[in-house]
Amino acid sequence: MTLTLYVEDAQDRGGAGTPLLQAKALTKHFPLGGGAVVRAVDGVDFSVLKGETLGVVGESGCGKSTTARVVMQLIPQDKGELLFDGEAVGTRALSLKDYRRQAQMVFQDSYASLNPRLTIEDSVAFGPTVHGVPKAAAIERARELLAKVGLDPARFAARYPHELSGGQRQRVNIARALALGPRLVILDEAVSALDKSVEAQVLNLLADLREEFGLTYVFISHDLNVVRFISDRVMVMYLGEVVEIGPVEDLYDDPRHPYTRALLSAMPSMDPDNRTMEAPLAGDPPNPINPPEGCRFHPRCPHAQTVCAKVKPALVATSDAEGARRVACHMEIAGSGHSRAPALESAA
Amino acid sequence: MSTSSSTPLVAMENVTVRFRGAQTVHAVNGVSLTLEPGKVLGILGESGSGKSVTLKTLLRLLPESRTDIGGKVMVDGRDVLAMNAAELSAYRGAVTSMIFQDPALALDPVYTVGQQIAESITRHEKISAKAAMARALELLELVRIPSPERRLKAYPHEMSGGMRQRAMIALALAARPKLLLADEPTTALDATVQIQILLLLRQLQRDLGMGVIFVTHDIGVAVEVSDRLAVMYAGQIVETGTVRELLRNPQHPYTKGLLAANLHGAKKGERLEAIPGAPPALNEPPSSCSFAPRCRYAEPACGTALPPALSLGDARTVRCIRAEAGLQPA
Repeated sequence: MTLTLYVEDAQDRGGAGTPLLQAKALTKHFPLGGGAVVRAVDGVDFSVLKGETLGVVGESGCGKSTTARVVMQLIPQDKGELLFDGEAVGTRALSLKDYRRQAQMVFQDSYASLNPRLTIEDSVAFGPTVHGVPKAAAIERARELLAKVGLDPARFAARYPHELSGGQRQRVNIARALALGPRLVILDEAVSALDKSVEAQVLNLLADLREEFGLTYVFISHDLNVVRFISDRVMVMYLGEVVEIGPVEDLYDDPRHPYTRALLSAMPSMDPDNRTMEAPLAGDPPNPINPPEGCRFHPRCPHAQTVCAKVKPALVATSDAEGARRVACHMEIAGSGHSRAPALESAA
Repeated sequence: MSTSSSTPLVAMENVTVRFRGAQTVHAVNGVSLTLEPGKVLGILGESGSGKSVTLKTLLRLLPESRTDIGGKVMVDGRDVLAMNAAELSAYRGAVTSMIFQDPALALDPVYTVGQQIAESITRHEKISAKAAMARALELLELVRIPSPERRLKAYPHEMSGGMRQRAMIALALAARPKLLLADEPTTALDATVQIQILLLLRQLQRDLGMGVIFVTHDIGVAVEVSDRLAVMYAGQIVETGTVRELLRNPQHPYTKGLLAANLHGAKKGERLEAIPGAPPALNEPPSSCSFAPRCRYAEPACGTALPPALSLGDARTVRCIRAEAGLQPA
């Protein structure tokens, strides 16, 4: 079954070499009053290549959801730039309305994301009608999409959200996200609320849809197993900053940032003869209101030295892995002043 | 583990729980389980499997007016279902206590952590308020809360999530229970905090020699803390065994599916072996295998009668007729 795309400018404009999405020094602060500021996203740089899935991991308060909301332009950034297929989002080259046809989002709470007073076919058809598709055509396409996500339209199309299970509702949200023929789909903890057996079904569905529609995903999750399964590359965030980004297997097999290492070794063991003996970190993740100076991880880092408390490490390419891996750690920066940093010559 | 050893700490026999309402819900349908003193049982299941209801039955926390409980629940030699109000309040906290997923809801927001712990001590022991407060301090030290003197005077909202969880554990341990019930106590926590709490619970369980029943939907969490596992589906235990046996040699198709869906070791690009469909509505008590509609090995016999709990030796049971026929799926 082929589906007609209603978005006329969905063709690849920038060419295969241009990332689909580039975030440059993205910053979003929330003032709390009294001078306090939540530095939710603080100078985040990353790109998402065409057709890949970028996993984003980190603990609560690390800024992963705020990053997603800024990327969707649900909230405007304070600073920084967002390029979609080489064009700045929200300018004359690419208006917000045109951008939002091509970038869609699926949220964690499947129930809160749907209008309880619309049938699910009306919910899925809503976006296209806003963008000028005639109602009858939009409904027809909605029913095709419901079939695609595994909900038989004859049985489900006329139901209301409360008549569906959580897994079924999340399928509706996925169908709705696809209704405008987007190129980028942001999945913010989209499978986290589902039971394990249902989660596996939805992950399989997401993999199928990515293949069929040539989608690019940004997949945000706290579940490291799920991220490993679905992602091509993974970005690790801590207190509003990117600490490490790289190809999924490299990053899981050989994490370079001490925080990435801690996060991975905090995963429960699946081997009863080899249980976790020691927690990798003590205490809770700190509050992003007054993040530490220098490297934000240094108060919890087992390798912290004087330089770490003073100088903020840049996100730099590591010497190996053809520069695909970038790490923000003084131990990776030649001549940083950390005793474990590589010598200056070898970095040249 | 032999049957000749001392009486079990917990013995549930054919327990059923039914909620009356506009629609009757058969939440627990014939659960039998035992727990030896000082051991940890993990109950693994998805939402609606009856795992939390089973746990609450052990403390009689379910709303009496709308709940019918059948079967027998013995804890430390006492018949929990036969207790009157006074016996029940002496039993709660002192013999059995419980920790929950959300410590912000389990702690009282208008009392300090110290006051709450001290109250729970004086409730069960004849002891001065000052001595109770000193014990509360010891308990905060036991659960390794940093600067415990200061935290004694703190209100729950002044603490971080991980610290509140530790405070709730201290509160649960206040009257030195023999049995600790844990209902997803780490589910809401961040990964690096979750492992700290799991290790703390493991340590406390060993040091204090408590029996623990730990309910979770996360296999990894269950493996970290449990000696034995029980897998629940649609209000029944479908399989039990030691953690090792259950992980290496799962017998019930649902256990197998759950292990496959957990993604440990799943590699990118592979298709997940997802269990199709969704768990059944529990409007009727099961009359045949509840998992059969989703089971790839189902045969006509699965739809005719309730599969018996088959013993596979050494406290290992499975509710699947294929196990009976020796037709274990490869």
